[in-house]
Amino acid sequence: MRRKLSSRVGWNTVGLVVALFMVFPVYWMIATAFKSDSQINGFTPSWFPTQLTLAHFRAALATPGFWSDVKNSLIVVSTTVAIALALSFFAAVALAKYRFSGRKLIIVLVIGIQMLPQTGLLIPLYVVLDRYHEVEKLSGLVLVYLTFALPFCVWTLRGFMIGIPKELEEAAMVDGASRLGAFVRILLPLLGPGLVATSVFAFITSWNEYIFANTLLGAGHTQTITLLLADMTGGERAIDWGAVMALSTLISIPVVIFFLLVQRRIAFGLTAGAVRG
Amino acid sequence: MVVAVVAVLGYPIVNLVELSLQQYGLFQLLQHHGVYIGLGNFSQIFSDPIFWHTLLRTVLFTLVNVGLTMGIGMLIALLLARVSTWVRLIVTVALVLVWSVPPVVGVQVWSWMTNNQNGILNYALTQLHIGNFFEHNWYASTLSQYAMVTTLLVWGAVPFVAITLYAALSQVPHELVEAAQLDGANAVRIFKAVTVPVITPVLLILVSLSVIWDFSAFTQPFLLIGAGHQNPGNYLMSVYLFIEGYGETNFGLGAAISIVMLVIVAVLSIFYVRAMIRVGDE
Repeated sequence: MRRKLSSRVGWNTVGLVVALFMVFPVYWMIATAFKSDSQINGFTPSWFPTQLTLAHFRAALATPGFWSDVKNSLIVVSTTVAIALALSFFAAVALAKYRFSGRKLIIVLVIGIQMLPQTGLLIPLYVVLDRYHEVEKLSGLVLVYLTFALPFCVWTLRGFMIGIPKELEEAAMVDGASRLGAFVRILLPLLGPGLVATSVFAFITSWNEYIFANTLLGAGHTQTITLLLADMTGGERAIDWGAVMALSTLISIPVVIFFLLVQRRIAFGLTAGAVRG
Repeated sequence: MVVAVVAVLGYPIVNLVELSLQQYGLFQLLQHHGVYIGLGNFSQIFSDPIFWHTLLRTVLFTLVNVGLTMGIGMLIALLLARVSTWVRLIVTVALVLVWSVPPVVGVQVWSWMTNNQNGILNYALTQLHIGNFFEHNWYASTLSQYAMVTTLLVWGAVPFVAITLYAALSQVPHELVEAAQLDGANAVRIFKAVTVPVITPVLLILVSLSVIWDFSAFTQPFLLIGAGHQNPGNYLMSVYLFIEGYGETNFGLGAAISIVMLVIVAVLSIFYVRAMIRVGDE
């Protein structure tokens, strides 16, 4: 008994050390964002911010282009989420509820695309979008993000839909509800968590995306917020680490909040129910 | 609606194959159509030593990253099964927090921590008397650059693996483990004979996903090493593709490189795809 207890204490200590190491970079980002410049640039780093300041957050917000980049990111992200949700919803209904010719092809495509390295599609997507004059436009970027968000959304929603017993819908229709009524009152509430999970996934992937935004928006004046952050350390001039960390913190906040909400369901979607988390 | 989904997903692939058989440079981009040159792009790649070096480097990079990610992820998952509930909660929150850090943010935090002027890494290593790391430049050699990229990538990838593996571990039946203990099996033997068979499907999926992600890593190597410091001596596949195809506006060649890359990934991940299609066909 005593031995068991002491080994438990040992494992707990290891666990806490692991957590500390994992989380340290996140802590360091936030701590740096609140430190004064003299604390950041000193040759002896201080482990804790002693003179808290909001100066770096003010500097980050005052970076040229900040507000327009935030606006661009929000436009791209919200459009992507809305379209992805609508399209994947109907595709998932079709895949989960009906058997039709070409069904297998769609499943192969959905999974296949999800497996493709996204950089592998950079060239064809660029050329196609250029052909339709969608380069250096936010609408072109939305199209690209849809290509990536759709497979996951279709797949995850399909998983949720299969979990809903057919009898529920049928019972409602026997009780006199129309097909639409049964759908709105019975299916939709049960699908709620799935819809939330897929929208968050679409939100996070498009908010975080870098390479396509960089390639498609390129040298144009239109930028997204990830490009702004990447550019802050790109040049040859001295880097204002306080402002970089403040902007990093600001960009991470919405992602972290949304992610905490649905983390389990995203892991579930990626492994397609092989693990019940 | 179904047609729309197929169109969005299938069109780029068809286009990719078409492009790879064409001469498609800046002139063709303005004209909006290319000139067919058969397999010319492919023979150009295969006779380019830079391609073969890049391929070898990327395979090594993938092996190291997947190995580390899976190894550390498994150790953390096993650890999670042994700690008290409150410690498990703390570790899980830490993992989820790390998991949610956007890749570009991760890059910026790591370059701040490892910068040679006043990065915390050099300071900590010097303080711990591991050596004199005063103004040590971690980005001076290719090997050291990739040590940094690997640390960043593995740090970001471990949470998903650890959390998923822990969920899989908790599905291992208790009775089996106890029966094995009664039969006198030690911990290592129980892990091999009881635990591993139960979690094998999940392990395979995780390995497949990690292989795909690491083989095609772009954002982290490109930005952490720096856009200006990419050269044929430190290319990874995605970066090679980006620079040869987009940077040099040689889209036909870029498409051919993409296809080679996609084929390699497809072969490596065939297990995952087959398993998923089976699930989808139920």
